[in-house]
Amino acid sequence: MKRLLFITCAALCGLLFFQGKPTEKPAPSPYLDAELPAEVKAVVDQKCYGCHNVNSKNEKGKAKLDWDALTKMKKAKRMAAMDEINEVLTEGEMPPKKFLENKPEGALTEAELATLLAWSSGKKKK
Amino acid sequence: MKRRILLGLALVFVIIQFIPVELPPPDPDRSGDLIGTGLANQEVAQLFKTSCYSCHSNETEYPWYSHVAPSSWLVARDVREGRDELNFSTWLKYDTTRMIRKLDDIASEVGEGNMPMPIYTLMHPSAKLTDEQRELIVAWTETAMDALVGEEEVEEN
Repeated sequence: MKRLLFITCAALCGLLFFQGKPTEKPAPSPYLDAELPAEVKAVVDQKCYGCHNVNSKNEKGKAKLDWDALTKMKKAKRMAAMDEINEVLTEGEMPPKKFLENKPEGALTEAELATLLAWSSGKKKK
Repeated sequence: MKRRILLGLALVFVIIQFIPVELPPPDPDRSGDLIGTGLANQEVAQLFKTSCYSCHSNETEYPWYSHVAPSSWLVARDVREGRDELNFSTWLKYDTTRMIRKLDDIASEVGEGNMPMPIYTLMHPSAKLTDEQRELIVAWTETAMDALVGEEEVEEN
């Protein structure tokens, strides 16, 4: 009888790990390393890649932008995607407000935003 | 009873005519137009003219019902949003990166059949695009995007 109780308790505790949102971050993309400047990659890994990757459970995020695919695109497609990233960031649409309500630490700092904007505008540093 | 309802509807129709609506004005200036740049071949240019230019340029030709409420509201909104999203008349105002982006957007909108909008082709059957015409446009966007990338690389060096 005691044993049954113990097993039930253990099972319940085990269930806790299945609940809610996955806290584990996906492994950083191997492609990003080669293609993105280090400071950009650092921000992307931390603030964007969680939803925008090839295995993302966030279907909308994955459909809109997949960083793994982005770095493998040919140049014209990549420029188009970067222009869209630039626009979405300029208009403050990403990360989504809804997402930040639950995860305020996911917001971009001013410096991070500046890094992404400078990179996505495609302008070379002089 | 029936007469009263009809009379009421007629009255509403007359009253809504007085609600102000602003149709985006046509502009004859062609200096910044895509079709002057040589990027689009004649076939594609013609497709754009017949299927896209009503909303995506400053050359809008307004049909009679665009001056009558409530259809005028819909036309005004669609033309305003259409020009805002992509305006072929002011193509040269986009920088190269934005042009590439617009071409990419054209490819997905036309390729996936979202554009021209069904409500537009309902009123303008001649604007409908066949599958072959869609493929032609998508193939052209890819060539044009590569051409623009090439241009930009020359500028950078």
